[in-house]
Amino acid sequence: MDTEDRTMLHEASALPAVSPAQFQETSRRILDAVNTVIDGKAEAAELALTVLLAQGHLLLEDVPGVGKTQLAKSLARTINCSVSRIQFTPDLLPSDVTGVSIFNQATQLFEFRPGAVFANIVIGDEINRASAKTQSALLECMEEHQVTVDGRSYRLDEPFMVVATQNPIEMEGTYPLPEAQRDRFMARISMGYPDVAAELQMLETHQSTSPLEQITAVTTGTEVAAMIRLVHSVYVSRSVKEYIVALGRATRNSPKLRLGASPRALLQLLRAAKAYAALRQREFVLPDDVVAVAEPVLAHRLLLERKTASSGESASTVLAGLVERLPVAAETPRASRNLSGTFGQRTGTDDARGQ
Amino acid sequence: MSAPVRDTAPAGTARAGTAPEPDRRAPGFGRSPVGAFPWAMSAAIFVAVLGSALGLNGVLRGWDWLVPAAGAVGAVVLTLAVARSARLPEAVVPVTALVVLGMVLTLQFFPATALLGVLPTTSTLGELGQLLGRTSETVVGGVAPVEAHPGVVLVTCAGLGLVAVLVDALAVSLGLAAASGLGLLAVLIVPALVKLDSVGPWGFTGAAAGYLLVLACSQSLGAGRDLGTSDGPGSARPAGQGTRTVQAVGLGAAVIVLTLLLSAVLPGFTTGTFPEGSRFNPFGRSTGLNPMVTLGNDLRNPSGQGQMIYATDSSSPVYLRSTTLEDFDGESWAPDERRGQRRFDPSRITDDYSTASVLDGVTTTTVVNSQEFNSPWLPVPYAPLSVQGLQGRWTWDPETLSIRGISSTTLHQTYTVRSVAPKLTRESLAHVVTAPRQSLDRQFLELPEGTPEIIRQTALDVTGTAPTPYDKAMAIQNFLRGPEFTYSELTPLREGYDGSSMDVLAKFLEVKSGYCVHFAAAMAVMAREAGLPSRIAVGYAPGKITGNTVTVGGQELTEFSVDGHNAHAWPELYFEGIGWVPFEPTPSRGQVPGYALPPSDDLGAASEPAENLDPLAASAPAGAASTAATGLGVAGGAGNDDGSALLRTLPVLLAGTALLGLLASPALTRVALRRRRHALLSPGPGRHQGARAAEQPQVAAWAELLDLSRDFGVGPEPSETPRSFAARLLGSGRLGTDMTDTDLRRAVDELLEGFELSTYGRPVQLADRSDPARHPAGLQLIRLHQAFRLQAAAGVRWRALLLPPSTLNRWAGIFRQALPVRRGRQPFGQRLGKLHLPGRRTARR
Repeated sequence: MDTEDRTMLHEASALPAVSPAQFQETSRRILDAVNTVIDGKAEAAELALTVLLAQGHLLLEDVPGVGKTQLAKSLARTINCSVSRIQFTPDLLPSDVTGVSIFNQATQLFEFRPGAVFANIVIGDEINRASAKTQSALLECMEEHQVTVDGRSYRLDEPFMVVATQNPIEMEGTYPLPEAQRDRFMARISMGYPDVAAELQMLETHQSTSPLEQITAVTTGTEVAAMIRLVHSVYVSRSVKEYIVALGRATRNSPKLRLGASPRALLQLLRAAKAYAALRQREFVLPDDVVAVAEPVLAHRLLLERKTASSGESASTVLAGLVERLPVAAETPRASRNLSGTFGQRTGTDDARGQ
Repeated sequence: MSAPVRDTAPAGTARAGTAPEPDRRAPGFGRSPVGAFPWAMSAAIFVAVLGSALGLNGVLRGWDWLVPAAGAVGAVVLTLAVARSARLPEAVVPVTALVVLGMVLTLQFFPATALLGVLPTTSTLGELGQLLGRTSETVVGGVAPVEAHPGVVLVTCAGLGLVAVLVDALAVSLGLAAASGLGLLAVLIVPALVKLDSVGPWGFTGAAAGYLLVLACSQSLGAGRDLGTSDGPGSARPAGQGTRTVQAVGLGAAVIVLTLLLSAVLPGFTTGTFPEGSRFNPFGRSTGLNPMVTLGNDLRNPSGQGQMIYATDSSSPVYLRSTTLEDFDGESWAPDERRGQRRFDPSRITDDYSTASVLDGVTTTTVVNSQEFNSPWLPVPYAPLSVQGLQGRWTWDPETLSIRGISSTTLHQTYTVRSVAPKLTRESLAHVVTAPRQSLDRQFLELPEGTPEIIRQTALDVTGTAPTPYDKAMAIQNFLRGPEFTYSELTPLREGYDGSSMDVLAKFLEVKSGYCVHFAAAMAVMAREAGLPSRIAVGYAPGKITGNTVTVGGQELTEFSVDGHNAHAWPELYFEGIGWVPFEPTPSRGQVPGYALPPSDDLGAASEPAENLDPLAASAPAGAASTAATGLGVAGGAGNDDGSALLRTLPVLLAGTALLGLLASPALTRVALRRRRHALLSPGPGRHQGARAAEQPQVAAWAELLDLSRDFGVGPEPSETPRSFAARLLGSGRLGTDMTDTDLRRAVDELLEGFELSTYGRPVQLADRSDPARHPAGLQLIRLHQAFRLQAAAGVRWRALLLPPSTLNRWAGIFRQALPVRRGRQPFGQRLGKLHLPGRRTARR
């Protein structure tokens, strides 16, 4: 068992626990609720929940009007916790996000007024419309789970999750997120257009009232925190870790990519895979879980070579190609123990392919 | 929190329901593996080993050995059965059997000196040594069938006991019942090698029936033990098993009968149950029981093994003579050892035969290096005066001048022989008219009862008008060297008259084709018919000049080499007042001595030898000529057969290749692998417990499913996860078209779950995982295998059976990994990439 897991379990003994059955029940309720709002996007909803349970932050990227904000809002509403929404605009200041110290005339003291980021779920709408400075302020909070103003640090409550939406960078009036900051988001989901049936269904049901209004909280922040702890206890075998590392190496060695997956990306991939496994009623991670979350977790961090980009490929297709060729841990445990040899072969084949 | 999480985790919940099951089933597993199985297998092995041993009757005289052998084998198989029933560890079982074998043998052969009759003491070991010494003499010097004295019986019993342990280890311990035939083959091959036609229908039937019995037992009882028990107690035997067994027994019996019939009908099988190709001799040369047959094998041996080198100052071709065969009982010729008359120390051989011819002869010195040649009889030029430089103890016989070792052989000996070749001329021989002296051993004239008419008649026809013994001898030799007779090493084998018995000779005179053994034996027998004392000399015809010279005592000796192709036999006839005179009736072999050349040949021969018939006076070129003659002889011999050396060895090669191919075949490898995996899945503290406890059954089961899929053409891609592979397999239609809700889908899912849990799940106590009741994976695999077979086309089915792609791919993978080139290159390219690419990338960015 990992040290990380052990400490978590140790801590967990003091906190309210959640049984796997409760875990399933609660997650099912959350997804059901979200799915009443967003038609035909069950996968996106599930991924959003996965990221929440994996303590990551979510980036929803797509053209306007496909339900990014709806998804973020509905997910937030299902949980009885503090939710704040920041509409990012070019003139938004960092202090609007983090909060500000104000001199209180009455007490003759500086008083901290928490910003919008002090909530369990923070919806950052159109994050790429804000200036780089404001973006960075938010992203620091995301990484540290704390806010530092005037030399004082303020801890953010758990669970803490930022769901940011952004329009594709080609749209007007956008500041693209730098690579380093995109890397802080555990996953990026492209909503995509709903299919015909889902769109019809939407037109039927959403004519007058917004279904968002009807959503009531189905769980509490405390329960979600317990669920997160359960995800921590999901077991990851060595061969799965090796698979993750191999996948990371493959992205770094691929001749089609200018920038591969960072170590942090692999860590987040592992966490996401654990949450994904837990949502599928498993107490251990399969390579399939890794494959399932690889695209949302890794694709937005990869930078294509110019030649690749101009040939019409995207990071997702390149990644899919890598996964398709990457050998899964061998059928016997004995073979997977030979770590260096396996990697030698893998990178070797990549090189050979590139030449 | 850890405890509740694990206990109630989703997967855990699913398993919790099945937890009590193993307890319910446990008693069933405790009982079912043992039971009738070890006893039935032991009985089958007993029948098989003793059945094969029936073939030994051709090698051992009488049946006295059978009862002790049955005792020894019986004790061994009984021990094996008891040990298995008592659940001794698998590694201990054969050891126990061997200990019991030793005790039973002690009880049977050395009860007097042993403690309590079964525990060997030092004096027992002394007795054993003596007995074995005597046995080895019998084996080296005797002629099959040998007398079954205690030593021979002891060796036979020990051998059969060991074979029983071997067969058991193969059939039961390793689960390779089919391979246990190798053990039985070891028994059969002894008579097949040693004596022609000695395995016989009884030995063959016994061995084959026993083998089928072993197979049947292991199939009907062993299979149920492996897999059926996962069904739970009571349902181990599939319905209809009884009928199938009856059918199988009927089929087996039919096959045996058919084989016996075929072997009698097919050409090439007429010499017995085994084809000629099987008659090779892997134990070196002249160590067999019958020198005559061994000699034939040497001649036919394409490698010409058993090379010897000798250097001589003789200017004439030198025959190296090993021994003489004079004891003819109608079955075979044997050397008479004359133990009572033999004298020690061959460094000074005095003669009782000082005749004029010998006294006038020229003394020659020959140095012989016998190298790998291994025989108790020392090859020396006739007639030896002294032999120096021998290791070990040697004796010589004043009558035949043969030199024999006492527990020492010719292996790696270098010795110097001084010999004198008798001065023989046509005239001196022609003058002999008197009958042989009375003191001459009657043995040299004896012929067994019932000499076939053709031999008597031919002898009479050939020698009828000849007035003197010499004329008679010449008549016989010229008759055999006549145009009617051809030299062939293979014809006797093909026609089934190899050897030298009376019947063989009769057949030889009829077919008129054979090799030196037949010519020599025929001349010896015909000479005896004509009243001339005769014997057969066995040794080597003159060899080839190597081009080297050896200097001994200031003398330069020309070096020759002889090998198996020079092995030769020739008759020696006794002439009163002159002594034993060699003749050369074999066409195209050896060198006809001057005195034995027909008068017409005188003109053809060089004038000098024609004038001076003393072979010792032949000039140096004669040696070269002899080499040429020998070479021609070999060529001629091969030419007379309708096959070259290649053709001769073809059957041996084919048989060997087939055997190797079978052993190393992908099919067999695949079966062994599957068996091992199934054994791993089999329940209970069974026989495979010790094999590989670390290997998890679920992993083995999944690996077997992957291999099955590969065999039937839906193998997994390396990048496929187990889950995606399972999905693809179910969707591929190779297991059936509609897979929505079937047993097969459940089987695949269960195998997948088991594999995922054991490979990716949290490591738990192995005992929890390997509980068989929860994993009837063996049964699932069998179902899936059947489904695969059912859906596959016939070609795919056969390929999966005979050339399973899973095994071939694995071999190819091993082969690729073994190739150093690719491995060496890749890390280099990798290093390059690591060194340069990041820099380049940064610069571009």
